Amino acid sequence: MFRRSAISILLLALAATLPSYARTRPHFGGILRIETADDPWQGADAIARKFVFDGLTALDANGAVRPALAASWQSDNAGHRWQFRLRNGVRFHDGTPLTAASALQSLTASCGSNCPWSAVRVVGSSIIFTSDSPLPDLPDLLASDLFLISQPRSAISGSPAQPVGTGFFQVSQSSGNTVVLTANDSCWQGRPFLDQITITFHRTIRDQWLDLTLGRADIVEVPAEQRKQAEQQHLTVITSKPVSVLALQLSDSGTLASPNLRSAIAYAVDRSAVYNVIYQKQGQIAASLVPNTVSGYGFLFPVDRDVNKANQARGGLNTSTISLSAAGDGLMQLTAQRLALNLREAGFNVRIDAPGSAKYSDIMLRTLPVAGSEASGVLGRLLLAAGQQPAVSGQDPQFSFRSEQDILNQHLIIPLIDLPRAYAISGRVHNVTLRADGTPELADVSVEPTP
Amino acid sequence: MSLRQRLLLLFSLTVATAVAVVAWTVLVRIRHVFEQRDQEETALFVSQFQREFQHRSQEVVADVNRLGASERARSIALQLAQSGDPSPFLTEAQSMAADARLDFLEIVGPDGNIVSSAQSPARFGYPEPAVNYQAREAFLKREELPDGSVVLGLFAVHPISGAISVRLIGGERLDQRLLADLAIAPGMQIGLYSDAGAPVSSTSGIAALQQNSLANAAFDANRLQGATGALPAAPHYQELIMTALKNGQQTTGIIDTTGRREDSLNATALPLKDPQGNVMTVLTVAIARGGMIEAQQHIRAIAYGVAGGGILLAIILSLWITARVSRPIEQLAQAAEEVAGGNWDVHVPEKGRGEMTVLARSFNHMTQQLTTQRESLVQSERVAAWRELARRLAHELKNPLFPLQITVENLVRSRNLSASEFDEVFRESTSTLSTEIANLKKIIARFSDFSKMPKPELERVDVRDVIERVRALYSTVAAEAKIEFATDVPQSKLPINADPELLHRALSNLVLNAMDAMPDGGKLGISARRKDNRIELRVSDTGKGLTPEECERLFTPYYTTKQFGTGLGLAIVQSVVADHAGTIAVESPKEGGAMFIITLPEAES
Repeated sequence: MFRRSAISILLLALAATLPSYARTRPHFGGILRIETADDPWQGADAIARKFVFDGLTALDANGAVRPALAASWQSDNAGHRWQFRLRNGVRFHDGTPLTAASALQSLTASCGSNCPWSAVRVVGSSIIFTSDSPLPDLPDLLASDLFLISQPRSAISGSPAQPVGTGFFQVSQSSGNTVVLTANDSCWQGRPFLDQITITFHRTIRDQWLDLTLGRADIVEVPAEQRKQAEQQHLTVITSKPVSVLALQLSDSGTLASPNLRSAIAYAVDRSAVYNVIYQKQGQIAASLVPNTVSGYGFLFPVDRDVNKANQARGGLNTSTISLSAAGDGLMQLTAQRLALNLREAGFNVRIDAPGSAKYSDIMLRTLPVAGSEASGVLGRLLLAAGQQPAVSGQDPQFSFRSEQDILNQHLIIPLIDLPRAYAISGRVHNVTLRADGTPELADVSVEPTP
Repeated sequence: MSLRQRLLLLFSLTVATAVAVVAWTVLVRIRHVFEQRDQEETALFVSQFQREFQHRSQEVVADVNRLGASERARSIALQLAQSGDPSPFLTEAQSMAADARLDFLEIVGPDGNIVSSAQSPARFGYPEPAVNYQAREAFLKREELPDGSVVLGLFAVHPISGAISVRLIGGERLDQRLLADLAIAPGMQIGLYSDAGAPVSSTSGIAALQQNSLANAAFDANRLQGATGALPAAPHYQELIMTALKNGQQTTGIIDTTGRREDSLNATALPLKDPQGNVMTVLTVAIARGGMIEAQQHIRAIAYGVAGGGILLAIILSLWITARVSRPIEQLAQAAEEVAGGNWDVHVPEKGRGEMTVLARSFNHMTQQLTTQRESLVQSERVAAWRELARRLAHELKNPLFPLQITVENLVRSRNLSASEFDEVFRESTSTLSTEIANLKKIIARFSDFSKMPKPELERVDVRDVIERVRALYSTVAAEAKIEFATDVPQSKLPINADPELLHRALSNLVLNAMDAMPDGGKLGISARRKDNRIELRVSDTGKGLTPEECERLFTPYYTTKQFGTGLGLAIVQSVVADHAGTIAVESPKEGGAMFIITLPEAES
């Protein structure tokens, strides 16, 4: 009796656990619906690029550099020469094999004349980079979104030409505000669980959240300053570590050619007001380029505003009007307006250029990537994104600190706030994690069937 | 100027003056009426504007009060009081303003700093001085927008119910759209002058926004906006607006827009101020003066027409009047001139029965009387002259005749004497007879000379030469008579057209007279000088002088003051001078001496 009862109880318990196991185990198939505010192919949040393309190297979840299309690499001559060996058997979505020549063509097209290296050539299945100055962080730089490898345009057949890469997903449809990606069955990393990803873009945050609530979307964006509101609305939010820095990028010519004026601007900005009110205390106030969580020395750079020092640095000069623009949405515009008030208080004449109205501004408010685990690599990718030549730093923290200090003392980039990236996900999506750059990692994601 | 011209001028002036006075009075009256109408229309519009302004003020106050009493505002105030953290309310003002349809709304915390701003969200944390305004009415305030420009608004402050320390400042934008809602009279131009849209300068600073920056800034015509856009001729409002900004009072003036009077405007500038008295904007009301100018020009044209007609009428009238009045006067004047010229045989027509006729009759009677009297006088003078001549002849002839008579009687009585005695008597008697007969001849010759004065033969003569000739002739004789002979002539020539012999004779007569007047010696002077276009000769002596009666009759023929004079010397002198178109006069002061002054025309060069 006891045995029969025990067996019955065991069977019942097993039966009770079966559905739960079925819900958590990944399932192949299904469509993931993502909504974004920005174009998925452009800007820092170009998530479609990250799903379609791979780089020679990539950052793992912790921000460390790992091999991607390049299976291995080695440097010679104190970092002046790098040899990256391509992974064998990798094919583009259209079936053409990835060759060193096509990779080289993609890399050259991505950076044009501003590439960090001096020369690049192909030797067999290897790509060899050489430079006049040492590039100790080249593997880190190549993990940047800038250097994602795509099939050269001239090699793409069909019309209209769709972006062709080697990633988990390939573009199957692109019309209007929607991009449809389908799973790459022959991906060198293996097939993803999902069959399809539908990315709908140019959606306001309110609409995204509404669609998520109504079950019309699976992953939507949560701006940093609205994370509390999302939580108040009981959305499931996943947040990355700081992956970008909100910064002012200053021109070194024209009105701001004087380093003293740029220094005055650095003293005049009120980071705490922007952080506390506009960004609702999300992220971290920053006066360093590399987040303190990565470098460990970020706290050494003062973050406080000092109008007196700003006035001293300005030296009582009445400058001509300084133009300020913000590359971004309303929040960036609001931040720009606040900073303009700060600068006017410090004696500057500031004009805010409307979005898209000016090709050139003396000051540009923008976000720069700071993902990574090594200070030198983060700094290199940040400078690359800012259009500057990466500094020679290496792995030594002291060198990184001095490099960053030298860069900051030029006041061409004034960091303000390190910002995380956050997404709200629906309950039918499983195994969503965030990459080091804050974008969703969809390789292992599975979805429950739509009810 | 003739009487006719005077009458014409008088009539024309009278008519023109009368017309000008009437036209000026009408013009002034018209201008007064139009200005009064413009003032009334301006006052009416200003009143309408103030009512609309007041209405909007009340709306703003009501909206802000309503928001201040809302549950949402109270909730915000409560959370602010509890947490002290303004950051969650960054966008609250925007949504509340949108719900209340307010252009401006700010939530101001207990510390006076902005918690949330609808119009400038980035201004959180900055102080808002207007929160201290205690007035329950709306007020004007400048507001800075995110793009750095300035706008003008009508604001009201109200504390949130239950949390007095938290206040709402809300308002509506005040710009030319307010003007669009107002009824505007035809020909009226209205505008608002403000610094709305102007960028905020960092040198003036945000704090300077509420100060009197409008009055301190230079005039900018683009800041004057009408109901539908830029106001025409805005630059011409500069003086009016700057005056209103300077004194802060309503100012009225005339604006000349194109240089043509009919395009000018009668404008009023009304400054609107904030609670501190700073001028925030200036309302301009301008009414075209074209109607008034056209009326004035019409009246002026009529006045010109009337004046022209009046002057024409005056000409006709003056011609008629002169035909009736001035012609007899002119005839009378002409007759009088002829009488003055020596022609007394004139006659003025006697027409009508008026005063001019009486005057003409009297004139004719007078000329007739004068003619009669002149003829009588001529006859009397002729008789008197003959009597004088007979008396003089008798006197002159009596003196030689008496010795002749005695000599003849002695000669008759001497017939009884011895031959030697008779011879001696005969010889003496014949001698005396010859002498007296010669004397008679001389007397007769003088009379003959006077009657036969030769006609002068004129030639160009230098008066200085004539004087020198006389001086050379008589200086020796004068010296013997202890008379100092002095001449005074200029260096330059004194040319005259004269007969040198006659002139020498006349001047010699005067010199001899002067020497006769100084039997005991004295000083004789001859001088000559140029005076105007004539030559003046003076012959003076230091004798006993002449009485006024003697001076008056001195040039009468046969009048003499000398014991043995014929009285013809000075008459001859006067005759010579008159034949040379000159004049002669004599002066004799009481203290003695006499001076003869001859004036002769200077010869043309």
